[in-house]
Amino acid sequence: MRTIGLVLTLLLGSTLTGALDAQDVRPRLDRRVSPEVQRAVQRIAADAAAQGLPIDPLVQKAIEGAAKDVPADRVIAAVRALAGRLGQSMAAVREGGVSTPGGDVVEGGADALNAGLTGREVSDLVRVSRPPQDPTLTLRVAATLAALGVPAKQVLTLLQGLISDGRSQSDLLGLPGQVQTGVGRGATPAQAAAGLARAAGGLPPGRNPDWVPPGQRKPKHKP
Amino acid sequence: MKTFDLRVKQLLDGDLSLADLPPELRAEGEEALRLLAAVDRTPVTLSPALDARVMAVVRQRAQSPAGRAWRWLNTPRDVELRLRVRPWAVWAGALAAAAALVLLLGRAAPAPVPGVQARGGTRDSVFVRFVLYAPGARRVAVAGTFNQWDRGAALLAPAGTSGVWTTTLALPVGQHQYAFVVDGARWVVDPSAPAVDDGFGRRNSVVAVTAEGAHL
Repeated sequence: MRTIGLVLTLLLGSTLTGALDAQDVRPRLDRRVSPEVQRAVQRIAADAAAQGLPIDPLVQKAIEGAAKDVPADRVIAAVRALAGRLGQSMAAVREGGVSTPGGDVVEGGADALNAGLTGREVSDLVRVSRPPQDPTLTLRVAATLAALGVPAKQVLTLLQGLISDGRSQSDLLGLPGQVQTGVGRGATPAQAAAGLARAAGGLPPGRNPDWVPPGQRKPKHKP
Repeated sequence: MKTFDLRVKQLLDGDLSLADLPPELRAEGEEALRLLAAVDRTPVTLSPALDARVMAVVRQRAQSPAGRAWRWLNTPRDVELRLRVRPWAVWAGALAAAAALVLLLGRAAPAPVPGVQARGGTRDSVFVRFVLYAPGARRVAVAGTFNQWDRGAALLAPAGTSGVWTTTLALPVGQHQYAFVVDGARWVVDPSAPAVDDGFGRRNSVVAVTAEGAHL
């Protein structure tokens, strides 16, 4: 009897929450997407809400697709894929030490995954982004750098190095523009990012911790 | 089977009299009247046992499983429901109802105004200038995550006849995706900003807004 009561209570609560979330989506999509997309996104959003995932990015993606006159099936596929990435991102962010992540950081992680970072790399970036750093911002910058063509491992190394150096959030936000400037001058995205790492005093990507720049003497280890 | 003339049928129905019939049909009419008079018109009296027999058949059919199921479903009855509820379950139910109410009231608040929705989680806004070189364009707008991708919400103004279009928007701190919409249909990325995959096979430009300004 006690177990049944508990189950009923939990069921009531989750059903109400899920229903409210699903209801929330409808007016936002009304007259902005086709009925077919609206029905599909409602279902996807209800599933996402039941898992504790943010539904705002799903709504935004559906509206974006409709605004761009993308066919309904492609909009639905994109929203479904985004929901999948949000789920992976939630797991990765939790793995990074944030037990109850907010919608923004989960969305940032999904962007990073979409740009080619792995779940483990997302976890590592969250782990290194302790206050005053904002993991959401770190993940968004990582996503943009990866989307520009900077290899994922290099993105991770660059951001970890800058955060360890105590660089500000504004410094991190400026990285994509600096990489693009480097690319505009003829460098590859990897070369441009390596240049930024060197300028910041960090190690070039792929070097061992005992690496020293050419022309400098390697310190001798005492036995 | 003998077929009577139509006028003879009218005679039998009482519509015509024998005198109304033409002479050649009178013999036929008389025969028809004779045949009709021979019919037994004695009132029929049903056997008293017939009622019992009919009702027996009805009761027999009512005993069928389908009939019993229908009666069981359709017959109104009194139901007494007795619940034994533990106090903690009542409190849990009340808390769930209260949480649902709070959630409902919270969501009844006005929706965020398009164009000032922050993705970074802070309310600070920064003015950002958007510029596109689009010679020959009749209309240029900028749409993105900050205005719900509304292609009519933020129009750019032409700077003379140079083909340069520009506008300044107050964007909340955070990272935003956007694209220019030329002549209401052509989506164009900002050539001066980083671009990312939009999930539909196209690209979105990215602008990062901090309290110190915008970073492209």
